[in-house]
Amino acid sequence: MAERRVSVTSEVGLHARPAATFVQTAAKASYDVTIAKAGGTPVSAKSILSVLALDVRQGESIVISAEGEGADALLDELAQIAAAP
Amino acid sequence: MADRATAPLPLDPRAVRTAAAATDLEDAIRQCGAVLQEVGAVDGTYAEAMLERERSISTYVGEGVAIPHGTLESKEAVRHDALCVLRFPEGVDWHGERVTVCVGIAAHGGGHMRLLSSLARILLDPDRAAALRAATEVDEVIGLLRPDEEEDPE
Repeated sequence: MAERRVSVTSEVGLHARPAATFVQTAAKASYDVTIAKAGGTPVSAKSILSVLALDVRQGESIVISAEGEGADALLDELAQIAAAP
Repeated sequence: MADRATAPLPLDPRAVRTAAAATDLEDAIRQCGAVLQEVGAVDGTYAEAMLERERSISTYVGEGVAIPHGTLESKEAVRHDALCVLRFPEGVDWHGERVTVCVGIAAHGGGHMRLLSSLARILLDPDRAAALRAATEVDEVIGLLRPDEEEDPE
């Protein structure tokens, strides 16, 4: 299982447009991709409702995980989206 | 923080339309903007910001629901946080998805995120989402969009 820990820096947190872009990217994977707040319960990173309900705010850390072919590259891409200001 | 999830949503009964009809997505969003303007939440420029946001990436969230909202840059068009709910019984084509309920959102900075997240928690319950799609009474819509008080504090 590969994972990345990222601090969210966008003013809107992982909401609105950043959340939509994040989910759209995660949904490309054929395997499960999860997102959790540090220490929290992971939810599907492919569900916009789950990601919005997680309510990740500016300055909070998230952990994204996946296992499968190309998971490292996908997680890098997701980490970049989540960390973008 | 419990207050984030359980505070009532700013939904004015006058901003709920249970039998709206729209020719397309753009029409539906303009109607949301007009209703938000009618309840005094936004000025006339907000609908254009909602359309601009929609063009960058779809606000469809699943369960037949779209949540059109403005961009960060449009927050000056917002006078107070508010939601509107427009139900389109005939459905509206939303980039290939069928939308029956539009929840238009007007909010300043942090308020925006609280609203999105409260709404998402409600819609994650498929029964509640189905009831919302079927709701024909304004009171029903208001009741369904009331955040659960037993929501886990974080």
